[in-house]
Amino acid sequence: MATFILQDATGIGSDDLDPAQGFIDMSIIANDTGLGIADPAAGKQRMTYTRTGNGPPRLRLDAMINTAFSPNYGSGANNVDTIVVAGLKSLVLGDGSLMANNATVLPPRSSGLPGASLNPTEQCLIIYDTKLTVCVARAGSGGSLDLPVSPPVALYHEFSHAFRVVTNSLLAVTGICDPSSPEERAAIIDENDLRTDLASRQGASATLRDPGNHCGITDSDCESCCIIATLVSRSPGSRQVQMLRCARDHFVRGTDVGHAFFEHFFHNYYAFSPQACTLMAGDQSLRCQLLEGFVDPLLDFWNVMVERGRRVMSSTQLGAAFIALHPDRLHAERRHAALLRTSAYWDSGAGQSTEAPAQLLALLRDRAWPSPYMQWALVAPVRLMHALLTRYLAGADAPAIGRAFTEALDEWAPEVPISTLWAALPAAQMRRELGFCERALLQTTKSKNRFRQRLGERFPDITAVARVLGRVQALDEGDTWRATTANPTT
Amino acid sequence: MASDDSKPDDLTAAIQSVAPVDTHLQVVVRLQNKAARALHYVAEVRATRYDPATRTLTLALSDEGREVIPGLAGKLPVFRHVDPGSQAEIHLSVPDKIVKLSRAVGSGGSGELAFETQQLFDVREVVVEVAWADVPYYQDTRASALQDARLPAARWEQHKARATKRPDKKRPPKS
Repeated sequence: MATFILQDATGIGSDDLDPAQGFIDMSIIANDTGLGIADPAAGKQRMTYTRTGNGPPRLRLDAMINTAFSPNYGSGANNVDTIVVAGLKSLVLGDGSLMANNATVLPPRSSGLPGASLNPTEQCLIIYDTKLTVCVARAGSGGSLDLPVSPPVALYHEFSHAFRVVTNSLLAVTGICDPSSPEERAAIIDENDLRTDLASRQGASATLRDPGNHCGITDSDCESCCIIATLVSRSPGSRQVQMLRCARDHFVRGTDVGHAFFEHFFHNYYAFSPQACTLMAGDQSLRCQLLEGFVDPLLDFWNVMVERGRRVMSSTQLGAAFIALHPDRLHAERRHAALLRTSAYWDSGAGQSTEAPAQLLALLRDRAWPSPYMQWALVAPVRLMHALLTRYLAGADAPAIGRAFTEALDEWAPEVPISTLWAALPAAQMRRELGFCERALLQTTKSKNRFRQRLGERFPDITAVARVLGRVQALDEGDTWRATTANPTT
Repeated sequence: MASDDSKPDDLTAAIQSVAPVDTHLQVVVRLQNKAARALHYVAEVRATRYDPATRTLTLALSDEGREVIPGLAGKLPVFRHVDPGSQAEIHLSVPDKIVKLSRAVGSGGSGELAFETQQLFDVREVVVEVAWADVPYYQDTRASALQDARLPAARWEQHKARATKRPDKKRPPKS
């Protein structure tokens, strides 16, 4: 006996675990049809493997699955199985450590190895979050924590630890992550074997993790930016996806508030987008419609916003930028027709003949539209572009379009969802963050005033908020906060 | 490791609210810096502990007591600071249930892996402990640090601000 996936256990519901994803992740590691899984017995499924290929990941899995390990930790040799506990997000270890966005190995209790005291059993436990979003240090980057860890890679990292646990060859473990401890260095070197293997399957060169640095962060920012844009544009490297990534990076770079925004955004976004992709995957016409009538206008909007964030644009420049998005009238009319079709679909599900769009619509109504983050970042911009295009096709020129664009941005921009992080910022940082928001996003006096008003109302008794907004009050010698915010000076 | 000119009560914490939202408990904590210098604190939950006997949920914004174990990545906590004489507010979100490892015993148990699930909807008291210091976190590069069994942020912290609150409303158990 050797390696199992936990399927169910006393004390939890089967919904808490994700054994199917555990098997999928192991299948990705193996990339070998010889990998199998036995029927459940006593809440576990035994892994089977008749290896047909070579390479370190397959050899390691072969060893873990087909070897009966009997390490001697000091009190005689005993059989030790490895059990993979996949996806138990609410799991908390005995010391209170949270397993969400994490992965670890707990050696058998009597082994005396690091982590053994947290394991109530005599088996080796691999515990990992199947939906983790963790970034680690990219090799050659000097410690940039921008390399994503996919769940199979995380699982394989833990298999590396587990192998040394069951062979009683665990190396030293330290709390410091930079430099890596010997044990973590060994696991990262193994992890890179899988990264190399995965890349070679796609004919690409691997981006490797720095073995000398075991640090990481929980961060969705290093994830692929937009899986829906990826799906409808058919490539994570498409112009559309690159533009979204650019917009995200522009508005996030160096700002805690930007990070907080995208943390909320991604939390809400990933509550529906994987299912949305599944529903859209088999519906070519729906994908085309959403590309033309939603994704492209959205990306065009954010492209203009990035440009506007880099330099203040006059109304006329904004109008010209909008018109430049539509190289000829035919393009504009086609885009407008696509927007109309998509709008009708959002409103009533109209224009669709298959079942998937109705399910998608129900999903979006339930999970996406209620989110203020989705409304502000995805829905309102497309409506705005639709309205401008309608004016354009009715004959409005660049200055008129620009004025309408500016007015619309004045209404839209300051309604950006306000993260609770604002309340945790010290005054100096808040000034910097507010300054960035005002330069990159708000820009006009009207827009700045409205945002400051919302910030003050949202956190009426937070010292730093009062101080930052009060600074304006002092400068303007106004009587009240509301009166003085008419002239923000940041 | 850090110099310690601060007094334990320079940073105080108060729980403003505890509210169930979807499948989480949202806890709002207000920090007050009474010192004449900025104080630095851990701003995220690092450990969750629940005592079913007293129905007390402890949210530790601290690495003290956490073991060093093999894992995917060493993640330092999020640190923030609060200005002298200022307040700050942190919003915490924790799942409304805790699953802990245990071992099945008794008939058929034979030491197999089992779990204990503790629902937090009827928590009687919430305790928040916030680790802080009067200097920012910095990495201890001394060789001795490599031998230290504590996590780096546990070595850094000087004090803990502690707050308790009994939630106002109980949420009925999920059907």
